[in-house]
Amino acid sequence: MSMMKNLKNYIYILAATVFVAACKPNFNSNPAPSKGTADFTRYISVGNSLTAGYADGGLYLTGQLNSYPSIIASQMASVGGGTFNQPLFAASQSNGSGYLKLTGFDASGNPITTSVTTNLAYVGVATVPGFGNVNLLAKYTGNIDNYGVPGIKLLHLTYAPYANLNPYFDRMLSTTSPNNTTTYLSLITSKPFTFFTNWLGNNDALGYATGGGGGYATADALTDPNTFAQLYTLLIGTLTANGAKGACATIPDVTTIPYFTTITVPLVLATVQKAVPTVQALYINAADATGTNYAPRIATAADLIVLTFPTSKMGVPNGSGYPYGLDPRNPIETQYVLDVNEQALVKTAVNSYNATIKSVAASKGLAVFDAFTFLTNIKASGYVINGLNLNSNYISGGIFSLDGVHLTPRGYSIVANQFISAINSTYGSSIPLANVSAYNGIIFP
Amino acid sequence: MRRLLLIAIALFPALAMAQGFQVNLHGQKQVGMGDTGTGLLQDGASVLFNPGAVAMLPQNYVQAGISPLFFKSAFQSTGSNVTYNNSNQVATPFTAYAVWGPTGSKWKIGMGVYTPFGGLTNWGNTWVGKYSLESLNLKAIYFQPTLSYKLSNTVSIGAGFVYNYGSVDLTEALPLSSSSSQDGQAELKGNGHGLGYNAGIFIKPSPQVSLGITYRSQVNTKIDGGSATFTVPASLASGFPSPNTFSSSIPLPSTTSLGIGYMPDDKWTVGFDMEFVHWSVYKSLDFNYGTTTTSLQNTSEIRNYQDAYDVRMGAEYKTTPKVAIRFGGGYASTAVQDGYVTPEAPDADRVYGTLGLGYKVAKNLDLDLAFEYEHVMSRTQTEIQTQLSGTFKTNVYIPGISLSYHW
Repeated sequence: MSMMKNLKNYIYILAATVFVAACKPNFNSNPAPSKGTADFTRYISVGNSLTAGYADGGLYLTGQLNSYPSIIASQMASVGGGTFNQPLFAASQSNGSGYLKLTGFDASGNPITTSVTTNLAYVGVATVPGFGNVNLLAKYTGNIDNYGVPGIKLLHLTYAPYANLNPYFDRMLSTTSPNNTTTYLSLITSKPFTFFTNWLGNNDALGYATGGGGGYATADALTDPNTFAQLYTLLIGTLTANGAKGACATIPDVTTIPYFTTITVPLVLATVQKAVPTVQALYINAADATGTNYAPRIATAADLIVLTFPTSKMGVPNGSGYPYGLDPRNPIETQYVLDVNEQALVKTAVNSYNATIKSVAASKGLAVFDAFTFLTNIKASGYVINGLNLNSNYISGGIFSLDGVHLTPRGYSIVANQFISAINSTYGSSIPLANVSAYNGIIFP
Repeated sequence: MRRLLLIAIALFPALAMAQGFQVNLHGQKQVGMGDTGTGLLQDGASVLFNPGAVAMLPQNYVQAGISPLFFKSAFQSTGSNVTYNNSNQVATPFTAYAVWGPTGSKWKIGMGVYTPFGGLTNWGNTWVGKYSLESLNLKAIYFQPTLSYKLSNTVSIGAGFVYNYGSVDLTEALPLSSSSSQDGQAELKGNGHGLGYNAGIFIKPSPQVSLGITYRSQVNTKIDGGSATFTVPASLASGFPSPNTFSSSIPLPSTTSLGIGYMPDDKWTVGFDMEFVHWSVYKSLDFNYGTTTTSLQNTSEIRNYQDAYDVRMGAEYKTTPKVAIRFGGGYASTAVQDGYVTPEAPDADRVYGTLGLGYKVAKNLDLDLAFEYEHVMSRTQTEIQTQLSGTFKTNVYIPGISLSYHW
């Protein structure tokens, strides 16, 4: 009998060992998240379309909800971050400005995109004297922490009439175009804040670049580097005046985005040659080294054609019978081509802007996300994370949205993590990184 | 014209084998004693531990056991504060042995059916590494007919032929979002077989001491005609033919074991084993698809495993003629080098401890219980191929039970 009793005891000991031990491994011993020397109580984001969450050629609710500032803000929650308010479109107007949707592929594997035109947020038209008509978007009346305004340049920082010209800016204000007088700088600094991210300045170069550089009447201009430096110094001086800390990002090399790398001169030429094998070259209207004088010449692989180039124009004869793009007397128009000389001008400007951004940020001890280097590296060697193989290619790359300029939610989550890493290393904080795998890339039908 | 540079999504169906997939649960008496047994004469499990020892067994055996395995693994990404836990699924390594020989003869024959490799992991479809792996169910079942012969009263030898039936079922997410923001899915499911052998020598120079050496050969297991199923958005379906087939092969490595037994009196049995696992044969894992497209290419993944070893010790103490208590433990080095740790087998060096209890239910019938706890060392690193970066922590809990009939 005593043996049976012993046996039972042994079984109890064995069973107890099993149940005491059977628990999940845990990471409780990790150091608690810390805000370091920063204070994330009220975080604001300053910037343009990238900051607003613009994607697929438009600003719409899904894009806003996946903006990099909103991702950063949600990650900041564990280190003292507060509520983050975005000027979201209402559910009934969730498609905002409208956007591009991928609807399929044709027989050759080319993507087919369609514009979404339902549930838009356009509410009227303002006539701005000396400028023209502006299609206005529905006002947003709540608190705002994400001040991303699609289209805005650093150049517009203190330009009071700008709010009348930009419906995304207008919708953040209580006044309405053409009666707005608020400058962007006064809007973003109207309420106290403790931390900011600033990614202004892209459009000071990108506006010129995406318009195929100069050479036509409505072409955008590159912001003068000295003006850029003055305004940037003013911006950062104002943002840090009350002790706020923050992070700035540099301006990417425009030639790293699929807007310029998808439709190439060799690709267009090869397609034309399929139909007309005798064609030898494409002709473009290209700039000289100063970017002021334009003349037709043969295109090379180094000239960049924009993603929005209507290829149906190719070969269509003009009034004198010369086929479009295939004859020096009817070259591809300059707004569709960022030629090598224009690229050089953009590069010089961007390098100067970035030198300014880095030195001004350094003078205030701010964190810097070097988007220029980051996107240049992705263009060169892709980006692998969590088993995802991403790159800068159009659609298949997973980072850039259908407009070839702005990012997918996955791309924005990567940007958010880059900001977070820069912030953590500058301020000794430990904002947790976002899970890139949880954000989608291009949506396929 | 706005030509899509065709979607070349690299698929990485990653099937890793590791120390984590080597299963050392080959008999409850042996598990209780820290998985020792190469140099011991315990029961029919000698078919696996040392076929050379089979002829020395004092009796004939028919026995079977099972070891429900609770694999508790957790992962935290570098720089993140979110922990992902492997789901609570229970793998079921099992063993069955039969040993028979005429009374007083020099030979015995044996048959073993056991599971020396296998793995069951399920990280779910929302975790950070879902594009690397969601779930994996890997099984290898060895069938081993064995012949053992007693050369003298102190030396016996034996060898067995091994037929392996292997099966795999692997799922992972594909980064192709549908209109409802759902990921694509890939599932690879198949089975195959492989051949090998094992051989052993058993030496018993005195009643107190015994020695054993066992070699279990590499078993190349080839999977042909497995089914590959892809669920992707309709517009991409032509790039991912489904159903498709795949083939692959896995080298289940050879092991060399050395064991010593020490029986100072009729109550105590002490075992000591060392094992060398020739994992370095596992250089890469290749998947070939029946139909490939520009989107779906054959894959080859670098694994670059290193040889691994383990050391084990254990003891049995008979408290009464009917009850034995056992305990033991060991250490196993990892087969996976830094930069190659994957969620299939989040491997690292490990230590383990075991407890066991044997009870003679009747004259010819043994009931054996064992419990093994393995602690896999926390391992922080970045996998080179997927850049999945973070810390794995793993604990394994393995209760087990077996019944042995002997005469």
